[in-house]
Amino acid sequence: MVALAQTALNPAVASNKPSLRYLRPPGALPEEDFLSRCIHCGQCGEACPNRCINYFELENGLSSIDTPYIIPREKACILCMKCGDVCPTGAIQQVKYELEDILDKVNMGRAVVDRQLCLSWQGKTCGVCYRACKLPDIAIRVGMLEQPHVLDDCIGCGLCERSCIQIPQAIKILPRQT
Amino acid sequence: MTSKTIKPFFLWKHLNKLRWLSLCTVFAMLIFLPYAHVYQTFEAAHAYDLLADSEKQLYDTMEAITSPFINDIEKDLDAIKGNTWSGTFFGYQLSDPLAALGQIFAGRSFYLPFLLTALVPVIFTIVFGRFFCGWICPATFIYELNTNVAAWLRRAGLKTGNRRFDLRIKYLVLAIGLVLSAITGSVLVAGIYPPAIVGREIYYAIALGGFGAGSVFFVITLLFDLLVARRGFCRYLCPGGALYSLLGRFRIFRIQRIVENCNDCAKCNAICEFGLDPLRDGFGQECNNCTACIAICPTDALTFKVRLSDVPNMGPGHLGKLYRRDKKDNGKQ
Repeated sequence: MVALAQTALNPAVASNKPSLRYLRPPGALPEEDFLSRCIHCGQCGEACPNRCINYFELENGLSSIDTPYIIPREKACILCMKCGDVCPTGAIQQVKYELEDILDKVNMGRAVVDRQLCLSWQGKTCGVCYRACKLPDIAIRVGMLEQPHVLDDCIGCGLCERSCIQIPQAIKILPRQT
Repeated sequence: MTSKTIKPFFLWKHLNKLRWLSLCTVFAMLIFLPYAHVYQTFEAAHAYDLLADSEKQLYDTMEAITSPFINDIEKDLDAIKGNTWSGTFFGYQLSDPLAALGQIFAGRSFYLPFLLTALVPVIFTIVFGRFFCGWICPATFIYELNTNVAAWLRRAGLKTGNRRFDLRIKYLVLAIGLVLSAITGSVLVAGIYPPAIVGREIYYAIALGGFGAGSVFFVITLLFDLLVARRGFCRYLCPGGALYSLLGRFRIFRIQRIVENCNDCAKCNAICEFGLDPLRDGFGQECNNCTACIAICPTDALTFKVRLSDVPNMGPGHLGKLYRRDKKDNGKQ
């Protein structure tokens, strides 16, 4: 019971739920700062032209109720940075639609490739993740047979995971909070 | 004795209609904006032919509604976003004072750009008192209709609750909400504040395909109003109402009785949604300037005054029986 209450109340514990792998919108502050800033107004979702931002109910603990999240496999962020513009509290920072600013401020997570699942690594030339990436050769690069290599500048928007043709997906975003 | 009749400014009588217009506009906007957002996303996808039939219908309807006003769908519809909790209005961001206060407690710090968005509402509240509750709050729109439902139920012979509690309970709720926000580091007051919930849930229902957990809470408050106390949530439990009451304690615009015109009919007390006592000049910080009492007064005995505090009870109205009897008694002595 005490553990349950702690999980519900403490954001650091709650966000580590193994069953939930979610991203915060691009430019979001680190998790604890984000939660203390966000006023749950829902404007980021209303500004998102891709409708990728969804809202928690109680599944991620009481403190994340009505806060925005992105499940990249369902719908990934297209890095338009509109949510930061409308966020009144700065929980999602304003990020200019420029490469330097995006690389500087956006950290949603990082992609990892499962070489056992990946078609290219298994010898069937694919390269879809590389073509879906908004920052090709900055965040991801392909080698021989289109084998993907995630680079250090990957910001975790999730477009590669969204577009992966393998089921289950061979490339996944590890969210920044885990 | 010269009986000079003081007529209140004739427009005050019609403010209640204007108030309903305002409430309906706000509510209609809360329904319109999510649809506008969905419309924008359809436009952003550049694939009208790939939409389902129902989506095409929505697209065509929204196009018919908005095309006279805008040129660029994706950019121009961004002018108005959000809800009454926090919204963007032609480039200006406005927020609920409770959002600002909750965020101060949750983050235990001051983030000035956001606090400034609550400045205009705070100033308005200091001048007009709890005007937000009566004039803008989308939950009030539903709660007042809910009061009518209670009246119908009573006419049908069913019992509805009209208990009275201590009005100060809501300050406790506000304090507890803020302390909980500070402990959890998350703005939890947003989850128990009906206008924020209504705005959010309408958006969820239209754009994200389903009501969320907040709607359950809101339905419970509706039942509380229906079965326990009339407008009970606003009067006794609403944390935002508590904040507005405190801010509007020394409001400048107040409703006041003209004792010379009053005939003690007590219709004002019956109509007052907040259970206040206009008949005995008991308005206090709870009055939300909804002007329903002005609209219903048959003898034009209520008006707006610019004053920093309520007048003490002025006694029975001069057109009433009580006053005439008192005067007769005094005359005999």
